[in-house]
Amino acid sequence: MDEHAVRTPEGRGVNVQLRITRHLLHTVRLDLARPHPFAYERVGFLAAGLSSRANDLWVLVRSYRAVADGDYLHDPSVGAMMGPEAIRKALQWAMSDGVAIFHVHAHPGRGHPRFSGLDLREQAKFVPNFFHVAPQCPHGALVLSDVFAYGHIWLSEDRPYDVITRFSEVGVPLKEWSPL
Amino acid sequence: MSRFDRQSFLGSDSEERLFGAMLGLVGLGGGGSHVAQQTAHLGIGGYVLVDPDHITETNTNRLIGGRLADLKNEVKKTAIAERQIRGLMERPRTATVTDTWHNATADLKACDIIVGSLDSFVQREQLERFARRYLIPYIDMGMDVHDLGNGEFLIAGQVVLSMPGGPCLRCAGLITDERLAAEANRYGAAGARPQVVWSNGVLASTAVGIIVQLLTPWFRKMPQFIYLDYDGNRGTVTPNERMNLYQGRTCRHHPPEETGDLLFDVRKFVRRRAIPPRKEAKNGGSNLFHKIRAGRIFGKASSRRERG
Repeated sequence: MDEHAVRTPEGRGVNVQLRITRHLLHTVRLDLARPHPFAYERVGFLAAGLSSRANDLWVLVRSYRAVADGDYLHDPSVGAMMGPEAIRKALQWAMSDGVAIFHVHAHPGRGHPRFSGLDLREQAKFVPNFFHVAPQCPHGALVLSDVFAYGHIWLSEDRPYDVITRFSEVGVPLKEWSPL
Repeated sequence: MSRFDRQSFLGSDSEERLFGAMLGLVGLGGGGSHVAQQTAHLGIGGYVLVDPDHITETNTNRLIGGRLADLKNEVKKTAIAERQIRGLMERPRTATVTDTWHNATADLKACDIIVGSLDSFVQREQLERFARRYLIPYIDMGMDVHDLGNGEFLIAGQVVLSMPGGPCLRCAGLITDERLAAEANRYGAAGARPQVVWSNGVLASTAVGIIVQLLTPWFRKMPQFIYLDYDGNRGTVTPNERMNLYQGRTCRHHPPEETGDLLFDVRKFVRRRAIPPRKEAKNGGSNLFHKIRAGRIFGKASSRRERG
């Protein structure tokens, strides 16, 4: 294992790399930037295939689905609040296609984004539910800036999240970054 | 002063980027051996070297780094490529797989770019499909000598950059069912196809230029889909007409649903690594992660074969 790999408290390292095509990432950013009738920001979900080798886990993003306008709840205290139908549709996607699901939203700007405290609390509530319908896949959440991304991944329902350790934006030229 | 001073126009961090990259070279004969040599000159630091064969007498007209003395010892082409690389750089990260690429998939999926220098269209299509499954850019090189029937020959070839999601070798018209069928019918019938060092060199140099542009570009508007034709009789490398025609298009032959391992199960991954449930850390996450700066973590091949 690489000397820089992230280590768990038990001393075992898990390297999680997320790969996504530039075209898809651009599509997601454009969609999340669209104004919503009442919410301050938009959210969506990404589906991903997976692969592993030793301590390495690859999250290979396949496609994106926006949360429908009508599936947001009115809640002026937050940027966007998904209703139960939005979660249900994402759960359905995970179950029927057997894919890893990542919630995604954006924090505009050109820096390395991070989740807010509210983001962390909400993720901890709904992400583990995906293991009830697709326990064979990890699931998680991403936040995008205009340039970078940051993410958490749950490997199982009974573990806290791990940080995605490396992002690869697959385009010409290739772009990679490690948010840690 | 650095050995890379003369290529500093590639960017202030180009040395680091190139050294950090992991390149998969599948096929280390006439084309692949050129790529191994040139990329080592450039300072690319990571390699997965794949070829099942050893050097033979008929390889010595074009296999870069091959020596006549290697014939007696039947030196593997992977070993020749590795020797070339180690002669040009310090502490490269190399994994050698002296086998077909199907038995190198664990190492290849960790690569940033895969370069294929394979004779068979079936193999080229399969390798491209593999690369797309793991969202890895694939550069395909091919060359042939055609008998014009009047005592003259045409040397022709092509280099294609196949980006995940973008046009593929089938989109390019390079892989067709007819061509695959014809190849299947010829299987085992003909002798080795003609190959020469200078045309291999042109194609390999073209491929290396694409590699550099992917890793540390020296100009901005590089096309996302590249399909360059080499005409060895005219001495030209020109864009194939499909290159502009298919620019910006998506591929229908490799749907996104094919991405990843078909039967992946994270529970096995966790069990295999015996990762126990962790105690809840403050803020719901593992603070330790935030304290350790992660460097390059995937640019390393499996330790069982790695030498560095």
